[in-house]
Amino acid sequence: MADQYRKVEQYSPKSSPRGARSPVVSRQDSTGTLKTTISLGKNPSIVHSGPFYLMKEPPGESELTGATNLMAYYGLEHSYSKFSGKKVKEQLSSFLPNLPGMIDTPGHLDNSSLRSVIDKPPIGGKELLPLTSVQLAGFRLHPGPLPEQYRYVNQAPQRKHKNKHKKHKHKAGETPSQETQVTEVGQDTHEKKHKKQKRHDEEKERKKRKKEKKRKKQKHSPEHPGGLTPSQHSSG
Amino acid sequence: MASSLENLETQLELFIENVRQIRIIVGDFQPQGQNVLNQKIQALVHGLQEVDKLKSQVQEVHVPLEVFDYIDQGRNPQLYTKDCIEKALTKNEQVKGKIDAYRKFKAHLLVELNSVFPNELTKYRAIRGDERPLT
Repeated sequence: MADQYRKVEQYSPKSSPRGARSPVVSRQDSTGTLKTTISLGKNPSIVHSGPFYLMKEPPGESELTGATNLMAYYGLEHSYSKFSGKKVKEQLSSFLPNLPGMIDTPGHLDNSSLRSVIDKPPIGGKELLPLTSVQLAGFRLHPGPLPEQYRYVNQAPQRKHKNKHKKHKHKAGETPSQETQVTEVGQDTHEKKHKKQKRHDEEKERKKRKKEKKRKKQKHSPEHPGGLTPSQHSSG
Repeated sequence: MASSLENLETQLELFIENVRQIRIIVGDFQPQGQNVLNQKIQALVHGLQEVDKLKSQVQEVHVPLEVFDYIDQGRNPQLYTKDCIEKALTKNEQVKGKIDAYRKFKAHLLVELNSVFPNELTKYRAIRGDERPLT
């Protein structure tokens, strides 16, 4: 038993070439793992034609293995504690709360995808120069509001939590003062519109009430005998 | 590196803010706003110049292309980091399971080998420099 063990030991995986063919049986062994021939029948026999081993060549040694804490090695522990197991808001707007416009829609819909910038890089390499007065003349606009089809761009997504984010940023004092001014202007116009609408509604109601009063008077007057009784009127 | 990224971020924010203001001016254009609009357009060119100047400072920043797919789908790019970490966690658990299984197998094999080939195993363990008793 021990002899057998020693015999096998002679053929160490390192000394024998991998994928060697059995000298006894002329058979193609492309895998190089089968080095024993077992013949069945009247006289079953096992012919050891060479060593067979389960081990492949061990992988080359490297300095960095799984034994090292790779999170710490690459300085990712902060990200790990920040994201693992915690819920991250899905929308892009929650990552960039100060960005105006609708940014949560897929980029390919409005041709604003970053992938398209990589696939078709824009023309670059030219010097950027301020526009001359002649060139600026091309930007002379007609007074008045934008046509209807372009106006939707101005509508910022209205979400409560988003406004909260904005407020938070203002408190931090990171946003430029210009922005606050403009947002205030925007809010003002919104308020004005709202007030106009309110006034309009109030006028409508007043007119309605007047009409109703007139009707009541007409119904209760003796000229209208088929008018409702007071009890009927209150129920109607 | 961090400061250069912050510079770029600030410049981009200013640029976006400028564009936003132009949009408001243009949205309901008043004749007296032409000068302001012209100034804003020049500021736009200036903003692009500033961003262009900063490009040399961020050459070393490598961004995985997959992040762009997240952004293009209107998703939070931090989800990419989160997904990567979750994948690493899952893989780590799998590999740890394999290591534990192999460790148990090794211990079991040594015990069994010791009962069948006690002499050989003693030699083997002497070569390995492992003289501890088998459990």
